[in-house]
Amino acid sequence: MLEKPSVIRHYRWHVGTIAWLLHRITGLLLIFYLVLHIWVIHHISQGPAGFNKVMGVVQTPIFLLLEIGLLGCVLYHAFNGLRIIVIEFSKEGVEAHKQIYAAMMAVAIILFLIGGVPMFIHFLHALAG
Amino acid sequence: MKFPRTSGGFYAWLFQRLTGILLVILLLIHFAVTHNLPKGGTLTYAVVAPRLATATWKVFDLMFLVCALFHGLNGVWMVIQDYVHSETAQMWIYYGLCTLGLILLILGAITVIPFKA
Repeated sequence: MLEKPSVIRHYRWHVGTIAWLLHRITGLLLIFYLVLHIWVIHHISQGPAGFNKVMGVVQTPIFLLLEIGLLGCVLYHAFNGLRIIVIEFSKEGVEAHKQIYAAMMAVAIILFLIGGVPMFIHFLHALAG
Repeated sequence: MKFPRTSGGFYAWLFQRLTGILLVILLLIHFAVTHNLPKGGTLTYAVVAPRLATATWKVFDLMFLVCALFHGLNGVWMVIQDYVHSETAQMWIYYGLCTLGLILLILGAITVIPFKA
């Protein structure tokens, strides 16, 4: 009888495993957001009053804070997704997968700061009223 | 009923990547224009409506809608296949995801297409 190798019984926490798990988690959060987003934006069909009412709700401080997390999810998922494509389509990509991950994450972090810092300031202003 | 245990094969894999690349581009435009990042600002009907009333943005938003729904629901389907192993359960989830996708596609389309500011 064959014994299962330990790699099948346990995940091993390499860079690729963490990248994969975070891709999965951010992906599921994003589809959940997409459903809500389509539903919220649908209110524009009701005209200015209906739309501004629902937009007022989703622009309260708690939502402004959550939106920064949303930006983080989008940027991680986007740039890790590009990493996956690069690795799948090039031999060099497979060999340098850790460096590619680092480079993609560097771009994602820079964009997160460019977008996230003004969003956080906007959140603080909303919080102060 | 026999339900094929595949991810949809080559085309599901290919379109996940094509829509992925498109979504990166569409999202960057969406953030820069719709959300006016990095400056930001409060979104109201007065800000959003004039843009949504133009044909260019209708096309943009519909493309966005189709790509995001396919990419998202195909992604969920991939995750489901890793954890749900019963063929019957997979079948019901698959048709459930297709139905959800169709409802959201219609909801999005009736928001965007007939809109007048």
